[in-house]
Order: sequence, then C-alpha cells, then structure tokens
Amino acid sequence: MTEEIKNSTNDRRHFLKGIALGSAALSGAAVGLFGGTNASTGAFGVQQANAAAPERLKMAFIKYATDTVSSAWSKGIEDVLTPQQIIDYKLLDGQAKAEVQVSLMDTLIADGTSAIFLQPVDSVALAPSIQKAKRAGIAVITLNIDATEAHAAHVEMNHYFGAMDIAKALGDAMGGKGDVAILNAPPGIIIRDLRTNGFVDGLKKHHPGIKIVADQVAEWSRKKAQDVLGTILAANPNLGGVYGVNDAMALGAVDVAKDKGLIGKLVIFGNDGETGALESIAAGELTGTQFTDVHQQGRFAASAAVVLASGMVPATAFKKQGHLLMPYVIATKETVGQIGPGQRW
Amino acid sequence: MYRRPASFALLAFFAVTVGLFCLFAPNFATASNFENLMSGFSFFAILAMGQAFPILLRGIDLSIGAIVALAGMVAFDLTMISQVPGYVVLPLVLIAATSAGTINGILIVYLRLQPFIATLATLAAYRGLVYAISGRLLVPKLATTPITDPWIVGIETYFDIGGALGISDYIKLPWFPLSFFLMIAILIAFQILLHSTKLGRDIYTVGGNQEAARLAGINTRRITVITYAISGFCAGVAALVLVARLTTATEALGTGMELTAISAAVIGGVSLQGGIGSMFGPVIGAFLLGVVLIGLTLLGASQYVQQILTGAILLAAICYDRFLVIRRQRRTAANMGLSV
Repeated sequence: MTEEIKNSTNDRRHFLKGIALGSAALSGAAVGLFGGTNASTGAFGVQQANAAAPERLKMAFIKYATDTVSSAWSKGIEDVLTPQQIIDYKLLDGQAKAEVQVSLMDTLIADGTSAIFLQPVDSVALAPSIQKAKRAGIAVITLNIDATEAHAAHVEMNHYFGAMDIAKALGDAMGGKGDVAILNAPPGIIIRDLRTNGFVDGLKKHHPGIKIVADQVAEWSRKKAQDVLGTILAANPNLGGVYGVNDAMALGAVDVAKDKGLIGKLVIFGNDGETGALESIAAGELTGTQFTDVHQQGRFAASAAVVLASGMVPATAFKKQGHLLMPYVIATKETVGQIGPGQRW
Repeated sequence: MYRRPASFALLAFFAVTVGLFCLFAPNFATASNFENLMSGFSFFAILAMGQAFPILLRGIDLSIGAIVALAGMVAFDLTMISQVPGYVVLPLVLIAATSAGTINGILIVYLRLQPFIATLATLAAYRGLVYAISGRLLVPKLATTPITDPWIVGIETYFDIGGALGISDYIKLPWFPLSFFLMIAILIAFQILLHSTKLGRDIYTVGGNQEAARLAGINTRRITVITYAISGFCAGVAALVLVARLTTATEALGTGMELTAISAAVIGGVSLQGGIGSMFGPVIGAFLLGVVLIGLTLLGASQYVQQILTGAILLAAICYDRFLVIRRQRRTAANMGLSV
C-alpha cells in the first residue's frame, strides 16, 4: 500500500517536472520563434502594436492544397499586399480537406481578419463558413472555385468559354472526328462542371462528329491520371483525344502516351497553363492548354481586397457577388512562344 | 491496472498550454475562439474515444477515417437521393458505421488477422465503397446542393449558456455547440461502461493479458468485436457532426483522421501496450491538439511548424508510455526477485 502511494507520488513528480519543462519549452518557442526582435527598440519577444502606428489589417489565403497554381496566386497576392505596408498576410494550407478549411476559416474569423482569399475544397462544404464570415463583416474572395454561398467576389479563370475554345482546338487537331476521353476532377466543385460543360458544349458546337467515350475522375492528380487513362485506353484502343480538366492530369496523359508510343497520334489538351505544361507543348508532347496568368489573377483579387478593406466596405454591403473572369490564351505549339517568362508560373 | 495518474497531469499540461497561448497568441483568449475549439474538435474527441477501445485491447483501427466517409455518404444518399427523413437517417447511419466496425472485429477475430492489416484492408475497401455509392457521383447535380434536413443540420446548433444563465452582461461566454454536449454524453457513457460494468472490466482484463483473460473464462472474441463496433459507432457519430457542419458529405471526408484520433488517444495516456487508459485522456488529447493548431495559426507560425510540434508531442507521449511500461516491468521483476 505504502509502495503504491510512493509510486503514485513519483509519477506525479515526474509529470510535474515534465509540465514545467514542457511549459518552459513551449513559452521559449512561442517567444523565440514567433515573437522575434523589434528592429527599432531591440526588445525581444511578442510586441504590442505602437499606438501611433496606423491600424494594421490582417488578410489570409486558405489554399486548396500545396500546388503550383495556389503558390502563384499567393505570390501575386503578396505583390499587391506587401507595398501597402499595413497588411499582415498569412498563407494557410487547406490540405485538400473541407473540414480543415472550415476550421481555418473559423480561426481567421475569430482573429479579426479583414479579408479572406479562399480556394474552397468543396463548393457546398465551405458555404456555412462563408456565411459566418459575412456575418462578421469579412470580405471573402474566392479564387477559381466558387462557393454556393454568395460572397464579396469571385475571381476565376475563364473556365466555361476557355473549355469551349479547347474543344474547338482539340477537334481541329483531331480532324473533326474520333473518340475523346475526359480526365475529370472529383464532383462537388463548380469549376469541374464549368470546365466539363464548356468542353462538351464546345464539341457540340464546333465538332459534333467527335464522341466522348469516357469521363472519369482522376482527382487533379498526374499519377492518378496515368492509371485512369491506362484503363480507358484498354477499353478504347482507338481513342483519338484526351482532355484533362487541369494540366497535371493532362501531363499524366502525356506520360501514358509516351509509354505507349502515342505521342503525335493522341491529341491531349490540359487546362490552367502551368510552366510544365507550356514546356511540354514546346517539346511537342502536350498538344495545348488554356493559359491564364495566375500571378495577375492573385494581384486582381488582392487589389479588390485592399480597396474593400481600406475603404471600410463591409461584406454585408454587397447586393450581389462580384465576378471577374480572367483573360486567357489557348496555348499550342504555334502560340506558346508568345507567353513571356514573367507570365509563367 | 485501470487508471494512470497521467489524466491529472495531462489536464495540467493542457491548462498550461492554453494559458501560454492566452498570453502570447493574439485573439486566442476570446469567446469565439473557444467556441471554434469546441465545434472544430469535439468530433475529433469522439473519434479519439472510439479509437481508445481497440488500443485498450492492444489493437488499432486504421479504418475510422474511411468509416466517417462511408457513414457521411450513407447520410447524404438517404437524405438527398432517397429523401428519407432525418430522424430515420440518424439511426441508419449509426447502424451502418457500427456494422463497419463490427466487420473489422470479425475479420480480426475469425480470420485471425493483425488489427493493423485488417483495418488497413477495410480502410481501402470502405473508401472504395464510398466512391461506389457516392450520390454526388451518381447524381452530379446533387454535388452542389446542400443538405437542409433539420434533423441533420440541427446537430450544428449552438446554445447561449451565458444568456440562459443571465450572466452575459458580465462575462462573454462562448456559445456551446450541440456536438460538444454529444461528446460529453459519450464521454460519460463510456466512462461508466469502462469502470462500472462487467464489460468494461473485461475490456481492461483482455487488454492487459488476453491469454489470462481467456483462461479466466472471458469471451475474448466477443470483447474484441465489441470494441471495434464501438470504434465504428463513434466514427458514425463524428460523421453526423461533420455532415451537419459542412451541409454535405465528400468522398474524401475523414481522410487522415485516423492518425489524429490515434495521436489524441495516445497523448491522452491510452497505452499502446493495452489495458491502461481512461476516456478523459483521449478527450483532453484531442483538445490539446486543437489548442496547439489554433494557437500556432493565430501566432502566424507555419503549418509545417504545427505539424512538427504535434509530432513532437505525440513522440513525447509514446516515449513516456514506454518509460512507464519498462519501469513497471522492472518493479514487477524486482518484486519477484528477478533482474531485467
């Protein structure tokens, strides 16, 4: 019995030591890692804002996941926010999970953020969070993927009309006949519908002789697209064209075409216009893509946010959601050279 | 055998961590932030409690994330495609999730598979099943339509306790989400089950020494199946909370949640060696992870730093668990006059 009490006391002692050490480590980390040194006073740690300094604004971008498009958007956003000198900007990773994005939205709302840039993982799942942000007067600006809840503004690539132009260019390259497959995004995202419907409508309008024989989900992924297209080709050996609703999936199709000796025979189009896709077009592998200057897209979104926040325009003041479509180019081997190095991402 | 003094110390560590973030993280000590903590991490606490049961039996359930997705999609399909009323959907979802957990237990017991392997296999199978039955894929138009059934979305209801008590003029309390009370109800029920019923005592006995439990006449197979069924049930409850929060169910729902739930359970003092742990620990563990994530986000720390810190806390918890096991073995050996 006495031994048990002794053991229990020892356990508690070990834990209290652990707590003390853990607390010291955590506070040290908090002060050292996140506080920093004040350049003017030399003071160390987390500083209170100078009363005389202008009020600082907080803005954040919750991206879908870590990928080239969102990195380029973030760079464009920073291009505009940094020179304002009064805006603290955070880039947060949604980890491709709706529940993570919802949690981050909640945290940003509680933190008094002025504007949130958002690329929703799911158009429906983020709607309640956007509604909550609106009630708090926070301007939410979505990038590329719209939400079902109306918000301040949506700045997007020209998904529908761009996809129609892709259908025309792809059909031209196929000679106006043959079978095509679509490597698609998961459902639940409006962008998927726009890019798919635009393509389908474009084929109907410009090339009614072309038949869509497969429309399968490859989850935005190059690797997944390789697997999915391999299966599609087994079932459709005469496939003449592939449309990947993003470049990663189109480049997955290029990988398969290379393996099977189909480069030059299989017409492959992507969408987005990332550097890897442009290089593949120049190399004669990928047939084409819709190119959008996403640095510029980020700058446009940030410009709108700065004007709204500095003008003290609350999210509730909007009668209707603002909407901006980005200009684009259908990049093919003939036109890809027109895209300058500064525009590439 | 049943208890570990870690619960009190863990609570103290939790309090210290909260205190530090209150001091250093801007806007951490606000009512709305604690509201977010409750609404954003109650379902993790429910999952962690469910996960604690297989761990108490020296097992593990890697499939709970997939069961969350499966249960969520069952709720979506029944509500959106079959137009089944919410009060019928709720029990059906829980039955589906509990059945998925039961299948895990049956595979482990009757096919004699390692829990890791069995639940890894069902993780893949259940996730595949989610895609196969996805109403969002079968009827694409529904993918951008929110669930509006009041029985389902009503789970995401908040209660103004401060206002009800008439103290909101003096102190601003967070509004408490229904999911938090659900979590508390499950905590109380499981705590009673573990400590005041024969089933609970049998779970600890089987977890401590399965062979000894079998020789003592305990039906170890039945106990194993029950623990995995409980884990599935908790995944079902968590799925309903999530579906209510998101107003939809996605195919990727719950991805990676098994790791967070395991982390929360282990941080909460549930021993990977089996037979030791309570329900309080996983709950505190889940909220500790939430506090760290929210606090560091408010401090502007990179999410990679958050992941590193979460990993470090988990590693510390595992090392401490190992330390206790070795010490216990040494004491037992010393008492028996052996050297280890």
